[in-house]
Amino acid sequence: MRDYKKYKLKFNPYLDKLYNSDKSLIIYKVINGYNIYTDFSKKIILNNNNINSFFKFFNNKIFKKETDILIGFFGYEILCNLIGLKIKNQKKINFYKGIFYKPETIIKIRDKISITSNIKKHKFKDHFNSTKILSPFKSNISFEKYKKIFDLFSKKIRKGETYQIKICTKYKNKSQINPLNFFWKLMKVNAAPESFMIRDKDYSIVSCSPETLIEKKGNSIITKPIAGTLKKNKKTSIKSAYRFFKNNIKETKEHNMIVDMERNDLSRICKPGSVNIKKEKYVEEYKHLYHYVTSIAGKINKNVKIKDIVKSMMPGGSVIGCPKIKTLQLLNEQENEERNIFTGSFGYIKFNKDMRFNLIIRSILNFKNYSEISAASGVVLDSQATKEFNENYIKAKSLLELFK
Amino acid sequence: MIYIIDHEDSFTWNVVHQFSAFDEVYCSNYFEIDRKKLNKSSTIVFSPGPGSPSDYPLTSKIYKKYKGKKKIIGICLGFQQILYCENAKIIKQNKIFHGYQSEVKVVSKGSIFSKYRKFKVGRYHSLKLKEPFKSKNFQITMRSKESNVAMAFENQRDDVYGFQFHPESFLTTNGKILIKKILQS
Repeated sequence: MRDYKKYKLKFNPYLDKLYNSDKSLIIYKVINGYNIYTDFSKKIILNNNNINSFFKFFNNKIFKKETDILIGFFGYEILCNLIGLKIKNQKKINFYKGIFYKPETIIKIRDKISITSNIKKHKFKDHFNSTKILSPFKSNISFEKYKKIFDLFSKKIRKGETYQIKICTKYKNKSQINPLNFFWKLMKVNAAPESFMIRDKDYSIVSCSPETLIEKKGNSIITKPIAGTLKKNKKTSIKSAYRFFKNNIKETKEHNMIVDMERNDLSRICKPGSVNIKKEKYVEEYKHLYHYVTSIAGKINKNVKIKDIVKSMMPGGSVIGCPKIKTLQLLNEQENEERNIFTGSFGYIKFNKDMRFNLIIRSILNFKNYSEISAASGVVLDSQATKEFNENYIKAKSLLELFK
Repeated sequence: MIYIIDHEDSFTWNVVHQFSAFDEVYCSNYFEIDRKKLNKSSTIVFSPGPGSPSDYPLTSKIYKKYKGKKKIIGICLGFQQILYCENAKIIKQNKIFHGYQSEVKVVSKGSIFSKYRKFKVGRYHSLKLKEPFKSKNFQITMRSKESNVAMAFENQRDDVYGFQFHPESFLTTNGKILIKKILQS
């Protein structure tokens, strides 16, 4: 909350013009503030044909200044395709499979606001983004249908075909949104560490994602999987949440599995013996809930390329289930609507190949006058369908409230 | 060289890193075997994986071809795969252990581990060995303390070993020692 007041109320004429212009822009949360990227000189729309050349874009590039960076997102489908999985027969809205932008201006909002730009004269065209809510939210799956998939997956777990699987629920309404308004409103209540916003001509994304999938500097890489969610109430505290997770066998087992899986995904690209748990099982606090987190680090092998890192780490395991390949196959057979950005990854790759990526969850995608919010929760052996179905709603709640 | 056969599991690379501490390791998918490398290797490891042994006939073939000729180690599904090839039945358990830390103890005198020794281990299995199980030179060497389910076997004569639990899991406290002993024996 402090964050928001500090930054939003600080009037800056440049920022004000930028916000009220028709320029595309991206905001990404950093530890002590926000970075805003704009004046995009390049926009790469990813598809299965150009993805390899996209990865090669970074070969022989030199990082000279902060704008030497591509920022954007990979959707869920293109990440599945990258690891050889095809998705058939799903309802699609034909949203982009992934887009990356090359910014020429970066604005850093910290205690002070600093602007780095390769553009000499900034021009703005006024544009008013209005928010219009044209229909109430509807979930794309009834409890009965959810329960059917849930029971099927429980059987698969009994047979050992999967150990943990996450079913996605989608909430949709007809609306136009002002993404900047939504984003700053969201940051006021939930400035999650991997929050971001994209405003482009024909779509916008507003996200308060809590989960860091990749943080790579030089040959060091860190991932911080989240597994375990607890609803907040007046009686809970960070300490009681920790006790809850620790004593709850179901949450602990779910978490353990994700830790071993993320160790595995890192090990695929890291030097033997270098993958270590940095901080095991701690609690992070959010507006409506608590999360159970572990951070794992490794040192990347010399011959590993950006494509290898993406293929090994994405889609991020904690929102899919385990083991990854078989579980993705089962999911893609059962879910009848495309996930789009949900469980994809947003982030950047610098020209020196340093990167940061999150897991896209807790997000609003507004495209073609529709807003969609997705949430997923896990089926393990001791899960109950009612509880997990409701957990999806809790996860989507702070986003749904923005529309009130 | 150690050849690790991956059954598309999300734990295989933990196995790879664990074995890399002792020898050069090569890892491939179960349907993309490098025959030359497999032939050259001194040890073959069957990784964990989803499903049941009947889903992986190619791995069964490899087991039958190299049994007695190379050291063979099976982990979780790999453990079941070897027993399945020895005509064991692999069945569902009532209580399933996924991401569960439990205690196993060494139950046989002839084991390379000393009898009654206990280990804390990570488990991820839906299925188990149906007992009684008998096969020449095979003995069950470890069992779960709480449910008595078979957790390890040894066939020292043919140099075949298996763990139903996951020595590579962060939930297993002495995983590296377990692997070291098996590789040295």
